[in-house]
Amino acid sequence: MNDALWISNALLWLAVVALAAVVVALVRQIGVLHERLRPVGALALASGPEVGAAAPRAEAVDLAGTPVAIGGPDPDGRDLLLFFLSPTCPVCKALLPALASLARESGLRVVLASDGPREEHAAFVARERIALPYVLGTALGLAYRASKLPWAALLDGAGVLRAQGLVNTREHLESLLEAKARGVASIQEYLERERKGAA
Amino acid sequence: MIDPVAAWLARLALAGVFASAALHKGRDLDAFAAAVAAHRLVPEATVGALARALALCEIAAAVGLLVPASTPLAAGVAGALLALYTGAIAINLARGRRAIDCGCGGPARVPLSGWLVARNALLVAAALACAGGGAARPLAAVDAITIGGGVAVLALLWIAAHGLLASAASFARPAEAA
Repeated sequence: MNDALWISNALLWLAVVALAAVVVALVRQIGVLHERLRPVGALALASGPEVGAAAPRAEAVDLAGTPVAIGGPDPDGRDLLLFFLSPTCPVCKALLPALASLARESGLRVVLASDGPREEHAAFVARERIALPYVLGTALGLAYRASKLPWAALLDGAGVLRAQGLVNTREHLESLLEAKARGVASIQEYLERERKGAA
Repeated sequence: MIDPVAAWLARLALAGVFASAALHKGRDLDAFAAAVAAHRLVPEATVGALARALALCEIAAAVGLLVPASTPLAAGVAGALLALYTGAIAINLARGRRAIDCGCGGPARVPLSGWLVARNALLVAAALACAGGGAARPLAAVDAITIGGGVAVLALLWIAAHGLLASAASFARPAEAA
């Protein structure tokens, strides 16, 4: 009788632990599902330079203090992704690996842009082991009206602004490339076109 | 006098909670310091030192709980830390600043809510259970199953509850910008 109780007790605990593990797995899946369900497409705000026109040119300096001109045609004809970030913005930090792999895989020139004291940014670059070009310049942020971070602007090889918007996820980043490929300025314009096409 | 099984469960669970919290804080002390700063209760200049001190207290509490001689003292430290955190959370809830990260540690950011206060109340109860010494009865062999299974279940439920709090928060605020 005593043995039976022991075995029953042990089996019940096993069942309870297994059920709790299932609950954890379900919670994880809810989290993953939620990530997937997020609206895809960089949110384009009403402000900012016009998509389809020549992108603003602005002066910035790199972390060594050398002036860098942003905007205008690229000598190699490569596309340029300008990513505006701040060392204190956790979403920006979360996107750094995605940016690095984007730069590696797509042949895109990726430049990180910010403003503020240079030492702060140098420390951030060292801490996060950032290998991408990093420029500083208040004029740059103003020219592209990057008031919300992380903000990204995609320029084609001819220096024309092709897409821009707030990017919170890797999907948002990719949607900027998608926007350029499809020749639409924003997800809003795309949906509008779809709606008109259907009507 | 509480049953030794309950006392052991409380001790191990509390030690586990503090050990995992301290581990996450140690891994990303900057994030914890940012969370402390976001609570806006101490001057900016002291945030870094305070974050480090809190993480050290948590490690001390976790280790102390496992050593029989120091259990009551460590339970006191744990209770005091929890009271401090709960107070900080309650003040910011009263200020209406719910969106800040609680700094609890863990993979996801968990914003402030009444649930955290309730959770901490449970942990304080566990700390009290550890502080009260003396066993009501000697441990039997079958207790090993209860304690082992109990710790496993509590750990899993802890992870699940945090996951739910984190995803509930992101459901409430979709596509929040930084």
